[in-house]
Amino acid sequence: MGASGLQRRKIEVLLDEVDSLPTLPGVAHRLLSTLAAPRPNRRDLQLILESDATLSMRAVRLALDLGSPSDSVTSIDAVLAAVPFEAIVADLLGIEIVDPQVAADLDLARLWRHTLATGMAAQAIANRLGTIPPPQALLAGILHDFGQIALAVALPRAYRQVLDHATSVSTDLVEAEHKVLHVDHATVGKRLASRWGLSETLQNVIWLHHQAQVPAAGAPAVAALAQVVRLADLVVRQEGFGYQASEQLRDSTTEVAERLGLSIASAEQIGRQVASAFVLNVEPAGLQSSPTPEQMQAVLSAARVQLGRMYRSQYHEGRRVEAAARQADLLVRLTGDLAAHRSAKDVLTAVAAHMREVLSIETVVVYMVSREDNYVEGVIGAADGTTEHFIHGLKKGERSDAAVSGFLAATVPALPGRAEGTESWLFQRHGAKLGAGPFYTVPMTAGDTLVGGLVLSAKPGLGGLPPQEAAQLAALASTAAAALKRVQAESQLVNLSEQLAEVNRDLSAAEHDRVQRRNVAALGEMAAGAAHEINNPLAIISGRAQQLAADETVPARQDMLKTIIQQAARISDILADLRQFTHPPAPKLAEVDAAALAREVVAEFQRGPEPKGPALELSAPDTAAPIRVDREQIAGALREIIKNALDACSNDTGGTVTVAVQPLGPQETVRLAVTDTGTGMPPQVRARAFDPFYCGRDAGRRRGLGLPKAYRAVVASGGQVTLESSPGRGTTVRLTFRAAQPAKA
Amino acid sequence: MKEVYSTGEAAKICRVSQQTIIRCFDAGKLQGFYVPGSRFRRIPRDALTKFMRENGIPLTNLDSGKKKILVVDDEPDIVEMLVDALQRDGRFEVKTASCGYDAGILTQQFQPDAIVLDYMLQDINADVVTKAIKANPSLEDTRIIIISGMIEDDKVQSLYDLGVHAYLRKPFQIDELVNKISELLYV
Repeated sequence: MGASGLQRRKIEVLLDEVDSLPTLPGVAHRLLSTLAAPRPNRRDLQLILESDATLSMRAVRLALDLGSPSDSVTSIDAVLAAVPFEAIVADLLGIEIVDPQVAADLDLARLWRHTLATGMAAQAIANRLGTIPPPQALLAGILHDFGQIALAVALPRAYRQVLDHATSVSTDLVEAEHKVLHVDHATVGKRLASRWGLSETLQNVIWLHHQAQVPAAGAPAVAALAQVVRLADLVVRQEGFGYQASEQLRDSTTEVAERLGLSIASAEQIGRQVASAFVLNVEPAGLQSSPTPEQMQAVLSAARVQLGRMYRSQYHEGRRVEAAARQADLLVRLTGDLAAHRSAKDVLTAVAAHMREVLSIETVVVYMVSREDNYVEGVIGAADGTTEHFIHGLKKGERSDAAVSGFLAATVPALPGRAEGTESWLFQRHGAKLGAGPFYTVPMTAGDTLVGGLVLSAKPGLGGLPPQEAAQLAALASTAAAALKRVQAESQLVNLSEQLAEVNRDLSAAEHDRVQRRNVAALGEMAAGAAHEINNPLAIISGRAQQLAADETVPARQDMLKTIIQQAARISDILADLRQFTHPPAPKLAEVDAAALAREVVAEFQRGPEPKGPALELSAPDTAAPIRVDREQIAGALREIIKNALDACSNDTGGTVTVAVQPLGPQETVRLAVTDTGTGMPPQVRARAFDPFYCGRDAGRRRGLGLPKAYRAVVASGGQVTLESSPGRGTTVRLTFRAAQPAKA
Repeated sequence: MKEVYSTGEAAKICRVSQQTIIRCFDAGKLQGFYVPGSRFRRIPRDALTKFMRENGIPLTNLDSGKKKILVVDDEPDIVEMLVDALQRDGRFEVKTASCGYDAGILTQQFQPDAIVLDYMLQDINADVVTKAIKANPSLEDTRIIIISGMIEDDKVQSLYDLGVHAYLRKPFQIDELVNKISELLYV
């Protein structure tokens, strides 16, 4: 057993090396002659393939290598459909040829005939049965004894022994193979088929065509094909197409036939049909001929030449594809780069950098036009490696669209046009940085919108852009345009959302104003109504008190009556104030010197008896830029604010109220600020400082309308009021007005 | 008190045409004199009174020396107070109304020299009354004084534009009102 194990193993190792098998010289000659024709005939080729086991196997393997699933490669038809004709031709041109000596020695022609006959018979049986496609049966039949071919060709001397042994002891070849080689051709064939990736079905046919049993694991169809081939094999051997000159049939043809559902008579009829048809196939298959060495030489030469030619054209094709793939790679990389950028400037810079890297250019300008076409933004990539960003307005007509529309209209990507004509604006403004020409321009379009353009000059000495690079420009321009359009869209989106936020803010401010105004209007209505209602009784109280006073002689009583009259007047004043607060009279605007006004108002306070209270100081220039306001109202407002400030300090002897007038520089505004060093206001009081009748103090003597009135007066005159205060740190009220436009001399 | 009347004034008081007065004057039915050095006729008060009596002309238009004041306000206490004050003064003959409608009728009948008018009456506002007075030629000498609980400053101006002579805000000094009236009537 040891020796047979070793032998078997040796054979296995040998067969593992087998990558392809040769065919007979005659077949090879016929094949190569067919292929050498200027336009090889497909039908002839198919016929040759379907008649030869090694050629069929080679074709099947080609289909599998190119990616067809094994279950789909079931017939030569399928192979020819799946594989490009050129590829089959190229592959078959490299066929190997059996040593004629070996072929003669082992009578391989006979083996070949057997495989062809089996194929034909299997096809006929399949036709008769109708359950298996005949082309599949044909292929299965051709390939069934593949293992035998492998053994014969790989181990000719050993196989000679097998044949001799079979003849001498009158046994069948399988037994002889077991005896001599310790492995039979079915197993060998199956091994090869499995290694080469053939479908399970074909593997099974090669493996099991001698066996009666149906393999348990096999699907019924699989088993059926094997049995068909088995029957075919038996039938043709009966007709004398077996490999062995004389052989005994172990299996009963009848049994096999019946298992398939055919009568023995039908089976034998098929055998006879094959025998007679066989003659017609032999010649086209090349099985008849034995070409002379000269003929072989000629045909092999032609084949070699053809192969060389095919290789050369494939090589060029490969080079072209490689270049296109490289280009595509670069574009993918560029797109990836650009996707990361959020600003137009970044995109433009990235595109310029990429172009410099990839193309042999000297200077490149990548620019984008704004949607409304009134400005252009771009990047100049100069020869010295620096990039410069520019952005400026563009008058209508500075850019010529004529060349562009021509470009857009071309269905075939046109070569870049000269830039000097259409992009004159670029040369006018940036000519110095661009260097020497000539310059070419490619528009960047996304869809049918023009996004911008590329302008470039080739490296000096090149005499223009190399053609393959020129072809790349269109793709580059397209990619860049897409990225720019995206960036533009994104920034538009951001703008829109900011605008939306602003509009929202305005809306809510307007709403707030509206509500406030409505409240004030309502208050005003009430005030007016109340005033009217209250003033009537007041008039009566006052009037009667007046009449009593006129007749009263007792001074004390007269005083009392006077008090009644005064208080009635006071009530009326409060009502008048309130009404006026809600219906402020329209300001009468005039140009006022804020400094002079402040001086006047402060002087009013400083008149009268020396105050014990806080000091009032003024800090103002001699004159300030005039402001357009209602003098009286603003003076009143200032008065109110100063009064308030003085009151705030009244608890604190030594407090100071400062009135400052400050012109503010570039905006040309004038600010009046009243600062006190009083108690200051906590946040909740500060928030309500301008509310009517609100008084932050517990025992307020003031009416509470002073500050609100001041506020309204300032705003009505076009100014702004701010209040700054914190507890213990005093308060500052600032009134800010725009300076009136000085009349230009 | 007016002592001497022109023919035009006399005509107005008698509610006859100036021509009639002249004829009567010339016919000696109405006594009077010429302004020295001119052809202007003058009729002394008593002559006119006599003429009116003789001809049965109601003496209402002849002033009794007192000025006629119409007080219009829908607040009765105010009306009472004003009537009191004006009558106490002694120079005035006072009538009252409490709504625009009555004011209208009385103005026609009474032909006041001045009207003290509350701006906001129940049935009408003073604008309308003022316009009506101004539209009536027989009332062209009537002085209009508006009193009010509440009017905006700009509204006040528009009243003056309409022809109002004075405006006082309630509560006012009664003295001030009386002075204002006499100022307007006795220049």
